[in-house]
Amino acid sequence: MLSEALLQRLTATPLFAVALTLAAYLVAMALLKRLGRPPWLPAILLATVLLTGALVLTGMDYTAYQDGARWLTVLLGPATVALGMPLYQLLPRIRQLWRPLAVCLPVSAVMAIVYALGIAWLMGAPGEIIASLAAKSVTAPIAMGIAEQIGGNVSLLLGALLITGVAAIAFVSLVARLMGITDERLIGFALGVNGHALGTVRAFEIGSTAGAFASLGMSLTGIFTALLLPLAWQLLS
Amino acid sequence: MPALNGFLWLLLCWLAGELIVYYTGIPISSGVIGMLLLCGALAINGGVPDSVAAAAQPLIAMLAMLIMPGVTGVFFMIDELAGQWTAIMLSLVVGTLLSVFTTLWLLKRLMQDDHAE
Repeated sequence: MLSEALLQRLTATPLFAVALTLAAYLVAMALLKRLGRPPWLPAILLATVLLTGALVLTGMDYTAYQDGARWLTVLLGPATVALGMPLYQLLPRIRQLWRPLAVCLPVSAVMAIVYALGIAWLMGAPGEIIASLAAKSVTAPIAMGIAEQIGGNVSLLLGALLITGVAAIAFVSLVARLMGITDERLIGFALGVNGHALGTVRAFEIGSTAGAFASLGMSLTGIFTALLLPLAWQLLS
Repeated sequence: MPALNGFLWLLLCWLAGELIVYYTGIPISSGVIGMLLLCGALAINGGVPDSVAAAAQPLIAMLAMLIMPGVTGVFFMIDELAGQWTAIMLSLVVGTLLSVFTTLWLLKRLMQDDHAE
């Protein structure tokens, strides 16, 4: 633990928080390369475990860290906008497959929410938790906007995204095997729709077709959910 | 620096999103609106200018790092959520299993129908 006076000096500017974040991220990347990138250990999970460890060791409290890290998180706005570029590049594929997509995507995106919230509700989870879990299959930058709109907790949502992503990677390969599905397009799309960015990274490991379909599934799920979930939430509550 | 030029375009799309949210009151985040605006602008332009790609690519590559501060928060909430973890884990894991099954089953049927025609 650092002394109170030193911590106060270091947290006077955001630079310490930014340095800790960059260091944890880069160390995690280097470690993962050594470990051969196991699919059950997403980079973001390892990086945040390291970062949490660093915060505990230095004795910096989370709100002070969060204040400094705003220098980084403010970039999430333009980074979300930047996703419009890969979306534009996917437009030809959307045109090619619009019929199966137009049916599958809304059903899948809605059912992903209904299943999870139904289970949480049956188990008596309070409203704030339910609101935090609602966007669990949506890619993080879009999901954070949705959680803010419907009054969920952003940190819990991000934790839920991690668990969902890892679960989706495991279940897609399991269910595809059980159903005898080998088509990379289907596997990729299912990974993107259910497992957002984590599933998409996994799909690119399977192959570039799977990866492209995962990006497509991820973008469309994100847009569909962002446009309709907050509205549905307002109407229902 | 073409990246700065591209970054300004991203910021303008985001600001346009803010204005749309402010004036219409629609419950959508300005980032998502900005993303759709950027996609539309690129479609009208008929391609991705180098400056936009130079700003967008590194930002997208950095996304995992940008959400780290938020994810870290969940480790500081573990006590706060005591007693809720079973519900949270079950809803996420079982919910994801069911939704994966739904997606794959639907896709398999739809793609078959598409080929049959």
